[in-house]
Amino acid sequence: MSTLKNLWQKKRWIFWLLIIALLCVPPLLKILGIYKVKALYLRYACNIMMYATLAGSLNIINGYSGQTCLGQAGFFAIGAYTCAILSTRFGVSFWVLLPLCGLASGLIGLLVSLPTLRLQGIYLSIVTLGASEIIRIIAQTASITGGAMGIKGIPYPWLFGLDAFRPEYYYFIFLVLGILFLFCTSRILNSRVGRAWISIREDQVAAKSLGVRTSFYKSLNFVYGAFWAGVIGCAYAPFVNFIESSQFTTDKGFDVLAMIVIGGQGTLVGPIIGSAIVTVLTESLRFLGVWRYVIYALIIIAMMWLRPQGIAGATNSILAGGKVKRKPQKRKGAAA
Amino acid sequence: MKKILSIVIALALCLTAFAALADTIKLGGLAPLTGSYAEYGKGFQIGWDMALEDIGAEGVNGHTFEIEVKDSQGDAVVSSTLATDYAEDDDIYAILGDFTSGACKADAEIVDRYGITLLSPTASAPDYAGMSPFCFSIMGRQDGEAPFLAKYVLKKYLGVTKVAVVRVDSDWGQACFDNFKVQADVEGLEVTEEKYSASENDFSSIITKVKAANPDVLVVMDQGEPVAKIFNAADAAGWDIQHVALGPGTSEQVVGMLTNPDNIIVTSPFFFDPNDAELTAWKERFVERAGFEPTVHPACAYDTMMLIKTAVEKIGDGKVTREAIKDALTGMEMTGVTGRILFGPEGDITRDYMICGTENGKWVVLKGFDFVNE
Repeated sequence: MSTLKNLWQKKRWIFWLLIIALLCVPPLLKILGIYKVKALYLRYACNIMMYATLAGSLNIINGYSGQTCLGQAGFFAIGAYTCAILSTRFGVSFWVLLPLCGLASGLIGLLVSLPTLRLQGIYLSIVTLGASEIIRIIAQTASITGGAMGIKGIPYPWLFGLDAFRPEYYYFIFLVLGILFLFCTSRILNSRVGRAWISIREDQVAAKSLGVRTSFYKSLNFVYGAFWAGVIGCAYAPFVNFIESSQFTTDKGFDVLAMIVIGGQGTLVGPIIGSAIVTVLTESLRFLGVWRYVIYALIIIAMMWLRPQGIAGATNSILAGGKVKRKPQKRKGAAA
Repeated sequence: MKKILSIVIALALCLTAFAALADTIKLGGLAPLTGSYAEYGKGFQIGWDMALEDIGAEGVNGHTFEIEVKDSQGDAVVSSTLATDYAEDDDIYAILGDFTSGACKADAEIVDRYGITLLSPTASAPDYAGMSPFCFSIMGRQDGEAPFLAKYVLKKYLGVTKVAVVRVDSDWGQACFDNFKVQADVEGLEVTEEKYSASENDFSSIITKVKAANPDVLVVMDQGEPVAKIFNAADAAGWDIQHVALGPGTSEQVVGMLTNPDNIIVTSPFFFDPNDAELTAWKERFVERAGFEPTVHPACAYDTMMLIKTAVEKIGDGKVTREAIKDALTGMEMTGVTGRILFGPEGDITRDYMICGTENGKWVVLKGFDFVNE
């Protein structure tokens, strides 16, 4: 046990490689013809990874800098529409579009962040919610976005000659993006930038007094969160092959928020857990009809009551990669 | 006693053998059983069940039918995931559904790749059916009904020039308005437009705003409850103006909610004529099961199942496959509950419309299908 613990502490990358290898197993079973994994389950897995990254991008804003963004659906839409327009009209490659969509979304994130720098809490939430709705309404009315008819026939990415239409191949796109997101984010969080975000979350006034340029870092935080929402939006558009404005309503933003509330804010693993729980529950309880939403709501209420920080939301959570708090041991000779 | 027992056993064996011989055509159903379109999803389910009941256990050409219905929530991503599941299942011969054009368009590439028919009762987007030879719809297209409203209802029947349009802010509402506006411009109608979100309940401010434009007629583009709420808000404001709706068809629920039920005109491809005994019986059966009055949507769902049955009849002694069902549906003509269905080259149909209104709270046909030729 202690060997495993030492290995976890010193050679953590071995565990990550093991997890990645395990994640590659389901689609590989199908590709190699060993076991016919149902496309339905692979699409669910794609959804989980997609929402995990999207929720992760929101977690950057809400969980790490303590800002309250409810408009992630808008940034997601920017990425999806940028990809759909440029790929269908100009034939731009998906792989070129990935960073481009992220940049487009990040730019909008910057524009949204600028007037909100002085806002906090509910006021900031309302502004981000409004921004998301503005983006959706523009998408619904502008001719370049296909208006109400949306954009259909979004080409599937070139994947080394493989048919990306099949979920067993598209799975790897979401997997690679998820890994890339986690890697980049973990590096940033351990850098000066990440520490600045966390210091703002903990106490903005104290952070400012210590020389942290709070306005700059808050904007940067918004841009980074929006960037990844745009990237995953870019991956989403060819996956569904058709997009329209009703796919980016504020409900989508609230669904993503629910994922980080359940999974836990301020940890990298929280959104993954939240995305998996919400997707699995929604799909596995489908036979209950509308009653599944009651169960879903009860879980959120129970979470708020029993574990408001979410399943992996505390820094001392094992799931969050921290240490379990030990009970203080009595010193020898201490009076009974 | 032994003799009776052997007869019973022999009969049971015969029935089992007959059941084994009868090939079951399994269909996948996509319907929004939860979410904001749940009422229509339930209507779909009942429509399909009624059709299966009418086809009967004996089936067609030795084939019986069954349908497995899954809840797509009216969501494009969920719908495409479920469509993939059906498409991968070799036992499923065709997919019936989904409700919204958006969900159907998201499914189009999937059904095309897997080679399975997607027959939607209600998708009305003009660009849906043309996405694949496997895509079909029987609702009629938005570019048919909305121009009909402008040309025949407003210009020819009512003879108005200034129109206030209040519409739901959705893909459907936008597409309806876009198609309407093109024809309204041709007819020289002066149009004022106001939008509202699907979750909105208080329409008093919108009414005040459109009233200021002093239009001759108030047009609402939406389905169900909001239509009645908007007209009631106009009545509450003391605004005496003709009410016209695009979307609800001859909905009994809408009329039942109106404060002035005798001031509404709608376009409809279909009407439950009380003088038609068959239609009345169909309607009563639906009400008995659903607990609410049917609109055109469940009737369309019923017809989609009957289309599959007709397709299997057309295949005759040939092998029933996914491809054969698609081929049989292409260009098919059938008269269903909702009237004549003739698939055009793209796989959807062009419906004729009539003008319906109310008298003493009951729907009546004001102008029939021939009005366009008058």
